[in-house]
Amino acid sequence: MVLDSSPRLDRVFHALAHPARRAILRRLSHHEQNLSELSAPLKMSFPAASKHVRVLERAKLVRRRVVGRTHLCRIEGKPLAEANAWLEEYRRIWEANFQRLDSLLADLKAKEEQAHHKQN
Amino acid sequence: MINTLSVTTPSDLELVMTRVFNAPRRLVWDAMTKPELLKQWMFTPPEWAWAECEMDVRVGGKFRWVWNGPDGQVALSIWGEHREVVPPERIVHTERMEMGPGAGDCGPGGECSEPWELLATVELTEQGRQTQLRMTLLFPTKEARDGAAASGMEHGVSAGYDRLDAILAGHA
Repeated sequence: MVLDSSPRLDRVFHALAHPARRAILRRLSHHEQNLSELSAPLKMSFPAASKHVRVLERAKLVRRRVVGRTHLCRIEGKPLAEANAWLEEYRRIWEANFQRLDSLLADLKAKEEQAHHKQN
Repeated sequence: MINTLSVTTPSDLELVMTRVFNAPRRLVWDAMTKPELLKQWMFTPPEWAWAECEMDVRVGGKFRWVWNGPDGQVALSIWGEHREVVPPERIVHTERMEMGPGAGDCGPGGECSEPWELLATVELTEQGRQTQLRMTLLFPTKEARDGAAASGMEHGVSAGYDRLDAILAGHA
């Protein structure tokens, strides 16, 4: 499996582990923004925002391009899609388990009700 | 109403699943702790079969789940020990997993290492006529957590290919 504990995926999960970086990604999911636009609404200093963006860049979740004095940040979808696929697969396996559990519970409930009717 | 499963990673070491069931807590507890019931719903890839399902549901009691693959050989073993048992609301167990009949990850010289251990906590909360299940898996390292999901993924993917094979065979 290509996703098997790759260092690249580790970087993605590390990047996603911080709420500030998730907030940055959410903002960037709308459109490209420069660092000042990013840092102000998140109540972050410019260097702090820059540091978080660097972690996101290392995970290849964000691409930064410098135009004159502005640092424009853009979200990169592919690594994020891979990380989601990984969790999504886990979710799918367990959902299959739990759907079988749903049917079993429905059977158990029906049996209990039957037994109850017989008693009365 | 459809009950959806939520899977989250609140920290580097945890994986948390929550799901609501349309049944009283007592029945969900039974389905999770009685071998004859557990075997009816727990993870079994196509063409695999349960070989062992033992549950000693008390503090210090062991559990052991073993599946055979299509060739009749042991394909996967999961085992551990119960640390907390509070029926019908809370159960905590340690868990180790091994693929195949071998003894863990064995090096070229034949030296074998114990597979790593996770701690699984299951909490059941009654919500009217429904029960919420919250399962927290605490892994020893982030790599273990990511690898576990990736290995789960391999089963899922190969099961998917098996089904695809069957479908293709039907159309051939």
